[in-house]
Amino acid sequence: MSAQAILSVQGLTVAHGAIVAVRDVALEVAPGQCLALLGPNGAGKTASVEAIAGLLPKVSGRVMFNGEDISGMPASTVVCRGLALVPQWRELFANFSVEETLLAATNAARGRPAISLEVIFEYFPRLKERRSQIAGSLSGGEQQMLAIGRALVTNPKMILLDEPSAGLAVGIVKTMIDIIGRIQQSGVAILLVEQNLEVATALAERCVVLTAGRMVWSGTVVDAMKTDEIREAYFA
Amino acid sequence: MSEFVMVVIGGLAFGAIYALAAIGIVVIHKATKTVNFAHGGFVLFGAFAAYLVVVKLQWTYWAAYVIVPLLIGGIATVIELTILRPLRKADLFTVITATIFIGIGLSEIYRLSYNTEILAMPNPIPGRPFLIGDVILTREQIWVVAGAMISCLIGVLVFSHASMGRSMRAMASNVRGATLCGYSVNRVYALAWFVGGALAGLAGVFAGPSKGVSPELAVSMITAGFVAAVIGGFDSLRGALLGGLLLGLAETFAAAYVSSAMKNAVSFLLLFVVLLWRPEGLFSEGKGRDV
Amino acid sequence: MSERVSERGVAMRRVIMPSVTVLLLTLAGTTLSNYWQYVFTISIGAMVSGAALIMLVGYARCITIASGAMMAIGAYASAIVVLRFGFSFPWALLVGTLFGALAGYVLAVPAVRFRSHNLAMVTLVFQAVTIILLREAKTLTGGAEGLNIPPPVLFGTVITSDLGNLLLAGVAAAAVILPITVLLYGPFGKNLRALAANEVGARAYGISPRDYLIAAFVVSSAAIAFAGALSAPRFRIIDPDSYGVLAAIFMLAYPIIGGMNSIWGGLLGGGVLRILPEVLRPLADYLELIFCALVVITVMYFPGGLVELVGKASRRLRGKGAAAGDESLPDSVEAAAAAAVATVNAGGVREAMMRAMPAARNTTTDVADAPALRIDGMSKSYGALQAVKNVSIEVATGRLHGLMGPNGAGKTTLFNMATGFTPADSGTVWSFGRDIGSVPVEQRLGLGIARTFQHVAIFPSLSCFDNTLIGLGRNGVGASMRRSLDAAHAGGSVAEERDAVMAALDAVGLKALAQQPAGSLSLGNQRRLEIARAIVSRPRIILLDEPVSGVGADEAGRLRELLLAINRELGVTMLVIEHNIGFLLSLCERLTVMSYGEIIAEGAPDEVVATQHVRSAYFGDKAAV
Repeated sequence: MSAQAILSVQGLTVAHGAIVAVRDVALEVAPGQCLALLGPNGAGKTASVEAIAGLLPKVSGRVMFNGEDISGMPASTVVCRGLALVPQWRELFANFSVEETLLAATNAARGRPAISLEVIFEYFPRLKERRSQIAGSLSGGEQQMLAIGRALVTNPKMILLDEPSAGLAVGIVKTMIDIIGRIQQSGVAILLVEQNLEVATALAERCVVLTAGRMVWSGTVVDAMKTDEIREAYFA
Repeated sequence: MSEFVMVVIGGLAFGAIYALAAIGIVVIHKATKTVNFAHGGFVLFGAFAAYLVVVKLQWTYWAAYVIVPLLIGGIATVIELTILRPLRKADLFTVITATIFIGIGLSEIYRLSYNTEILAMPNPIPGRPFLIGDVILTREQIWVVAGAMISCLIGVLVFSHASMGRSMRAMASNVRGATLCGYSVNRVYALAWFVGGALAGLAGVFAGPSKGVSPELAVSMITAGFVAAVIGGFDSLRGALLGGLLLGLAETFAAAYVSSAMKNAVSFLLLFVVLLWRPEGLFSEGKGRDV
Repeated sequence: MSERVSERGVAMRRVIMPSVTVLLLTLAGTTLSNYWQYVFTISIGAMVSGAALIMLVGYARCITIASGAMMAIGAYASAIVVLRFGFSFPWALLVGTLFGALAGYVLAVPAVRFRSHNLAMVTLVFQAVTIILLREAKTLTGGAEGLNIPPPVLFGTVITSDLGNLLLAGVAAAAVILPITVLLYGPFGKNLRALAANEVGARAYGISPRDYLIAAFVVSSAAIAFAGALSAPRFRIIDPDSYGVLAAIFMLAYPIIGGMNSIWGGLLGGGVLRILPEVLRPLADYLELIFCALVVITVMYFPGGLVELVGKASRRLRGKGAAAGDESLPDSVEAAAAAAVATVNAGGVREAMMRAMPAARNTTTDVADAPALRIDGMSKSYGALQAVKNVSIEVATGRLHGLMGPNGAGKTTLFNMATGFTPADSGTVWSFGRDIGSVPVEQRLGLGIARTFQHVAIFPSLSCFDNTLIGLGRNGVGASMRRSLDAAHAGGSVAEERDAVMAALDAVGLKALAQQPAGSLSLGNQRRLEIARAIVSRPRIILLDEPVSGVGADEAGRLRELLLAINRELGVTMLVIEHNIGFLLSLCERLTVMSYGEIIAEGAPDEVVATQHVRSAYFGDKAAV
């Protein structure tokens, strides 16, 4: 494990009852870097990321974040340490307004310097217009922005993004890519789970590919696009 | 006409107590997904504790209104920590059974202390009743209606707007999303049980002088609270409040204009009718789509 | 032949054991003093209630707070016919039992719409209203003061002695416990447990929740009323309040403390708890509180109840280790099973299945050449979200047809509409030329349509054998009761059914694990078990939802071989949803791809997967690798 990595995962194995979703996965993310986690449906990407965030219990493995061993911590503690997750299904609060959703997340930032709502609204002007609107009535793209905004409010050093482009129209995806890029430039590291290779190439320098719960490849995204291995990984 | 008004006030008085109990049940259910069948036992203990404070210790009623909710809230939290937390992974059947028997257990503890006598409590607000035309309103009735209703409203407002309520509402809406906001399941559940228990205790302080303290109180309050909660759709505090008032009015009207036996049957009939005709409740809020 | 005879003996011995035990206890009681004979009489009455509650509370997992009312109904009905019409005791018992059955029906019909806390509350309503009515109907019931019950009259003799009453109670109780045992041990009881374990899986194989829960309420209420009628004369006076809510709640403790999963739990719980107030006189006042504490401690630390504790203690005494089936199987057994599977013998599959039950599929109403499944213009919206948009698919008979698409494409929603679990907003479903859109889920197995589930819908507490047995169908309430009677003496179709089940388990390679509880199997084997359950009824089409999700690559390959063999040897059509594209490519003859609720491609698998449209649906536009 390199001394500078902000996130270091070793030997991660995640099982859900009888199903082993992830087997022996290892990865590292340097501060301010973006790493893409690629792979077909059912490869275990979501399980990996949720286990790292503490939403899913892991069977074995070690997760070091910012020099601290967060392996056994539940999600509510992990987020207070500065590692935020934007889950695949967003998991928003149907009856909360945009503003209240962000206020709820300030709970995770207590004791650390706060991110004000105004900063969030700078990233997401669309949300500012709709600050009193109920989350359940927002469009898909706006909900995704709110989910990312909620993670940002917790003043994270790193964000885990699970398929942020899923279900979104092409135009919105471009906006999303810009915003995520800006977030990364402000110094926040990113672990990006994606099936959409366009989003992955735009944002990440390096990537790790999973198939059927195991790592099958890791390297730069540029190399990944050139090799047949990705195609194998998706269609084998 | 004046008799009608007095029946209405009487109904609102009981209804306000039922509403307080129902709100406690709904708070616990919303935040923890558990239906607390021990709630009637909490109310009984609240009434019992009020009796001890006011009659045995000879303190003022104000002391009771402050101490009892805290005490019952504490007991509820202890129950959550010692019994329900280990059962978090168990199935619904197990949890419901556990709360049923905890409620009966509380009732039995009371019975062992005072048997089945009905303990009478002094009037919290002694004084001459008000006379408006032909209508006689006792001070106690007005106090119960005002005090219990205000407590309900405070409870509802705190839950809906204050940051303490926010943690419970977030957990109620989406447990995973709530943990991603840094809310710990254990802490929020304990808080919800404390609040629910405190509301039950407060209902008990109001119910003690009005209904007398007896083991019967436990069963009648869990039934009334449950019925009121069901009328409200079980997920709405406002619905529970209105449901409690409706139930109180229905019962008092039945006792006044039909028969006293009907009074006992009213809550059951109401429950039956609501479950069969509109199981989502008469006053429920719309359910937001999961996002 | 002698095997059949000994099998019959074993089955019958097993079924009469509880009743015989009650008779033995009765005999033991005859040697004791009058007081203890009285205590035994009450205990035996409570054993009947306990057995009844095992059916409703233990097997069907319904929380009922109406038992007090049922006892009251039995007690009052029998008392009234004796007092008013001079009935002899046996007839009075019968009348009490019938009223109990009727009351159970009246309660169940509205109540079984609900589950868990709402169901509990509805039963509480019934309980309270019944007691109120009994109290108010003074002319009939004597009101709150109660009713004096004369001693029972049997064949002209008045039975006043404690001994006489004990013998009467023992024989009557043994007689009633026998049919309860038959039902609990047979397919009826297994279907109840399956229903409580996994309602979705149960419905798919013909178990109707409404019918079964009503039946469970009727039978158990009748038995509890019987117990009430039986014990009433011993109390001399009955009054409504002694059958109140508290009594009903404490009866709930019988199955919980006794042990929820077998009739012995009911006998033990009822028999022991009911007499504690008599036996522990000095503690009488505190007993109810102690009961509450016992229940809470039991559900927290000893969920198997007294029966499990006794079982563990006796095993330890006999020097054996932990109970078989308590933990996962040792590796050696699973490895052996895996090895058996590796050699799926094509001819073996057919042979095995041909020996099985003949398929009672009604082919005369088929339209010639109609496809096995035809979905026409199906749509489903959830508010603003259109999950499925006007989808039409045709699955030809005998085909292996795959369905794939990224997350959120609507595949499972489509499946659930096609199998009747989700109502469609529009569109029709045809199978072999027949419009099945309005056929309830529980009847689809009878039309030759079976399915498996994305999250394995097996019944963990039942053995693999029993899981597969349910797949055979004939799971209507009446049919399962008849089959339970057959099972009690190993007669009727029991032997044929067993052959069919073992053949299906053999075909999927699980024969060696037939008696293991399904919950202890690995995921791969659980998926196999689902397949066994799906094929045992010789269906004509199986819909499989992610049959290899979560299993390793080797196991996926073996499952693929199994499905191919089933399709080839038995001619079963299959429609398969999967995320594992390689699996679909190697299995299917035709592939349909969905995205955002619509079909975006259909045809030969290799071609479909190569189209640009499909690739961009999965990977985004720039995925030109």
